[in-house]
Amino acid sequence: MSLVNYATREITCKIVYYGPGRSGKTTNLHYIYGQVPDDRKGRMVSLATQTDRTLFFDFLPLDLGSISGFTTKFQLYTVPGQVYYQATRKLVLQGADGVVFVADSQARQLGENIESFQDLHANLAEQGIDARTVPLVLQYNKQDLPRDLILTTAELSDAINFRGVPEFPADALHGPGVFETLRSIAEVVLKRLSAGTSAGVVAGARG
Amino acid sequence: MNIATVEPWVEAPLRRFVDDARARLALLLHPSGQVIAQAGFTREVDVMSACALAAASHATAGELGRRVDGHAFRSLHYAGPDRQLFLSPVETARGAYICLTVFNAESSLGLVRIYFEELCNDLAAAAPPLPAIRQPTIAADFELDLNRNLAALFGRHHP
Repeated sequence: MSLVNYATREITCKIVYYGPGRSGKTTNLHYIYGQVPDDRKGRMVSLATQTDRTLFFDFLPLDLGSISGFTTKFQLYTVPGQVYYQATRKLVLQGADGVVFVADSQARQLGENIESFQDLHANLAEQGIDARTVPLVLQYNKQDLPRDLILTTAELSDAINFRGVPEFPADALHGPGVFETLRSIAEVVLKRLSAGTSAGVVAGARG
Repeated sequence: MNIATVEPWVEAPLRRFVDDARARLALLLHPSGQVIAQAGFTREVDVMSACALAAASHATAGELGRRVDGHAFRSLHYAGPDRQLFLSPVETARGAYICLTVFNAESSLGLVRIYFEELCNDLAAAAPPLPAIRQPTIAADFELDLNRNLAALFGRHHP
């Protein structure tokens, strides 16, 4: 739910990076954290296991700057991808303004991608949200791996992107595709907000 | 105590609560983790991280309660050596919020709970109904601003 403060002219949006385990959701946030100047980011919080697998979520607040006169802030979250963290994924997804689905491009992970994508739709439906109305961007990560191990963007698109949403090949470890993905989800979320269709908390007060 | 709010009707009840309960810090947040009001926070505590963690903790307790007791656990209390926290939902006409209260030895859980009930009543009474019409908030041609800002964030050239 976007939080809009008309008095201080601030917009805050929640973006959730979703996808199967080890697809690169946390890596996306780490890359963004490493690129963004200190004065435009908050502290990154990671609730992880001792082996650095996401246990609950990663959280990164970003200050996007002024957009149409509004100071625009994005709060980026990841969910734990492993199948048995279903309950926590559902919790993190609550109130999301947009979702980035990070798919693992490895051919042997196709089933995991599809299962996780179905899991996303089921969790949204459980919250009474029609998945078709939620801003969504797909990222096909690990496209830097050897060609014989991965599926192409076209193959992944055929398998997952039946809604025809924006999609990006990426190598989140080194950066390609990370910026484009964030730019795209920000654009879709803000377009929805500008159209007045976002079911957000709308406040008209002072800070 | 320094109080900042997104919604003005929250300020007076929250100020009264932190004064009466002798709380050190208080946060009112949306269940999705967005801050609605903060009292007493300084740079030593990161508000946004605290909100994200409080929302997660509240959601986790609720879900655990539903699984083991058939009902969501509503309130939480954690005690550290110097500071304690109390986490509980608040229902208003504007929807449900979560309140995170941090207190030390100057107060007690009992005192916080007593005044928290008053806070719930005060907020329920003060909350205006949701506005019927939501205006579009940003211009349709925001893409230029967005692209320029993101390019700056990532240290890229934007034409």
